[in-house]
Amino acid sequence: MEQEEIQGKIFEYMQQMKGKKKLKEKDIIKKISADTGEEKDTVKKALRAMIDVGKLMYSYGGGASSVEIPSEEYLKEKGLI
Amino acid sequence: MSLPERKTDIGPPHYEQFLPPVIKKNYGKWKYHEVLSPGTMVHVAESGDEIYTVRVGSPRLLSTASIREICDLAEKYCDGYLRFTTRNNIEFLVSDKSKVDPLVAELKEKKYSVGGIGPRVSNIIHTQGWVHCHSACTDASGIVKAIMDDLYEYFTEKELPNKVRIAVACCVNMCGAVHCSDIAVVAVHRKVPVVDDENVAKMCEIPTTVASCPTSAIRPNPKTKSITINEEKCMYCGNCFTVCPPIQIHNPEEDGVAIVVGGKIGSLRTSPKFSKLAIPFFYNDPPRWPKVVDAIKNILNVYAANAKKHERVGEWVERVGWEEFFKLTGIDFTFQHIDDFTFMRDTMRTSAAFKF
Amino acid sequence: MSLKTWPSFVTEIKKAAQSSSMPQMADDELGQLEKSYNTKRGYWKHGGIVGVLGYGGGVIGRYSSLPDEFPGIAHFHTVRLNQPSGFFYTAEALRMVCDIWDKYGSGLTNLHGSTGDLVLLGTTTENLEPLFAEYSSRGWDLGGSGSAMRTPSCCVGMARCEWANIDAMDICNSMTQHFQDELHRPAFPYKFKIKVSGCACDCVAAIARADLSIIGTWKDNIQVDQAEVKKYADAGMDIQAEIVDMCPTSCISYDNGEIKINDAQCTRCMHCISKMTKALKPGKEKGATILVGSKAPIVVGSLLSWVIVPFIECKPPYDELKDLAEKMIEWWDDNAKPRERIGELIEAKGMRPFLEAIGVPPQPQQVKEPRKDPFFFWSESDFKK
Repeated sequence: MEQEEIQGKIFEYMQQMKGKKKLKEKDIIKKISADTGEEKDTVKKALRAMIDVGKLMYSYGGGASSVEIPSEEYLKEKGLI
Repeated sequence: MSLPERKTDIGPPHYEQFLPPVIKKNYGKWKYHEVLSPGTMVHVAESGDEIYTVRVGSPRLLSTASIREICDLAEKYCDGYLRFTTRNNIEFLVSDKSKVDPLVAELKEKKYSVGGIGPRVSNIIHTQGWVHCHSACTDASGIVKAIMDDLYEYFTEKELPNKVRIAVACCVNMCGAVHCSDIAVVAVHRKVPVVDDENVAKMCEIPTTVASCPTSAIRPNPKTKSITINEEKCMYCGNCFTVCPPIQIHNPEEDGVAIVVGGKIGSLRTSPKFSKLAIPFFYNDPPRWPKVVDAIKNILNVYAANAKKHERVGEWVERVGWEEFFKLTGIDFTFQHIDDFTFMRDTMRTSAAFKF
Repeated sequence: MSLKTWPSFVTEIKKAAQSSSMPQMADDELGQLEKSYNTKRGYWKHGGIVGVLGYGGGVIGRYSSLPDEFPGIAHFHTVRLNQPSGFFYTAEALRMVCDIWDKYGSGLTNLHGSTGDLVLLGTTTENLEPLFAEYSSRGWDLGGSGSAMRTPSCCVGMARCEWANIDAMDICNSMTQHFQDELHRPAFPYKFKIKVSGCACDCVAAIARADLSIIGTWKDNIQVDQAEVKKYADAGMDIQAEIVDMCPTSCISYDNGEIKINDAQCTRCMHCISKMTKALKPGKEKGATILVGSKAPIVVGSLLSWVIVPFIECKPPYDELKDLAEKMIEWWDDNAKPRERIGELIEAKGMRPFLEAIGVPPQPQQVKEPRKDPFFFWSESDFKK
């Protein structure tokens, strides 16, 4: 599977879970790896590439780190929109 | 002006570029050291080379202006080489012996606190407090300042039976080695947190919040989509507040500090030890916390008068017994002193032999 | 109160306002602190979501809950810079750190934070990216925060201590470089700390404050210089009382002006060596003891680290050490609940699964005493002949 396609699956899952559960990086990798049959490392690389360009972001709350879809405010601050 | 290009995952600067030439040359080949005064020591290498260290205290919270002043002194006396200790002291690394005394003289003239080496009170390890932390239930810097002002001569001059490591933590998260210090102050809550149901429902994951409680005092409340707290089980640790901020643990009127004693880190003579409860509570009393300072001075004085040379506070207390500690210090023994959390089996007395 | 006084943190906050390009930050910090002193409560909100692009750690969001009253600290984020091993600096390097910080922040720092980072206190969200570009382009990277590897730290080690049995600074630096990804991108159940001490004096408190504690030790005999022993006696040291009688295993004797050590009985506690620095030295067969699990009280009480590997050689590039650390982290990461430290997980799951996962056999050095109750587990593998 192309990286872009994996990233599409990741984003879809993130949208689906938004507001329902805080997802750790590992939760996402496990889920998408199981769904697509891709190696965990491959999924991790795809996920990291999304974080590097601000398509997703690391977040912190409730005493733990998670991954989220960035807010408009974040994207503005990073000069991405 | 355009910004330079960012780099990622380069890690810290390599320490080697910051080492004085004499340290680079004798790295791993030191033979012995000698404490020359409360604030100076010399390390001698197998080659015969020497490096002199001059130590001064710091409030840890340092302005860039003060760091520059420290840098100026380092350049004047030790080619710009300096380091910090794990207890936040500043150490000037002097390669030229003839510059040690002039450096110490200038430091003293400029009101730096030269000392902290050997069997003394070193700098207090402490946390952020009201200066910068959301979970602080006391200020740390202020208590440290009040204690160190009072114990100043134990940093700069007076000897004790051994080192006395003091720490201050502004909540039970303990971002410092409070749980293994000779004497430590730890801020504690005493009231069950107040639950803001509406915001808990909005902001918090209920299963995570329930799981955060070490005493299983938290249950989900399906009616409010929030949680309820069993008041009989709550020990006010505040972990739920960390996980779910609308569970408000702060109570300015009833928060305060406890004093714990007898912990240590090193394995010298006896194993590392946790600190144990000496005084369960003092009200927050800014700006100088006088009762806390007096209580610490009292414990320190009783230790200094009774411990054998080289005994740490915890070793002395274990030798004479905790019942003796309470008698000698005049500290009241209360229900709070008896463990009812995780250490009861280890801490209740199971022998008919003890002191009155 | 004594006439001489400890340096004042209030003075530092005032001085920061003078050197920072944004004096209102330190001014308002002091204003809010003064208010706290009057009302006995803090006014900081829970951390918010801030960071530099691509990283999930190194910046801790901090906002005043009174932004109208103290606009200068409406944003007052913490930046953790990874300190050089052993906290060594040159004046030139520290000035560079200060110059950038005065431009982008409050001018307040912690040298150092509890974990070891060079902490910069108080900047705005919009200054984070420029600040990171300025620091990283000059060789400074961010430290850890959140559910991640935290910045490893160490004692002064071989740089200035004759007791260093391992190269604590090199191990610390090497481990930090090895775990850059884990440090900057939080993927763990909770924090994971590594600390390295050169001997059992443990100046970096590894045994109390690190999930993975690496403490230098030796296997052979303490090196004794009898001529120096004599000098200590001549100088008035009561060797019988201060050294012999305080040895926890009674393995030292002092007869006819000479020290004798029964090294087989010595636990290498460092008492005698630390009191007679010229006469006694650690042995020559050096390495480290690996201990695991220490932490502060949250959540289920404090823990001190447990001995897992009694002795391991520590030679660069420290592959064995790194491999062991990776196995520990993998087992923890696979099994822990959110906010469960490795020590707590071992308590919950048992020591056996942990030891088996990392490939370390049971050894008497790991325990103070064997179990007391007659309840114990048997695995299928125990029945094989």
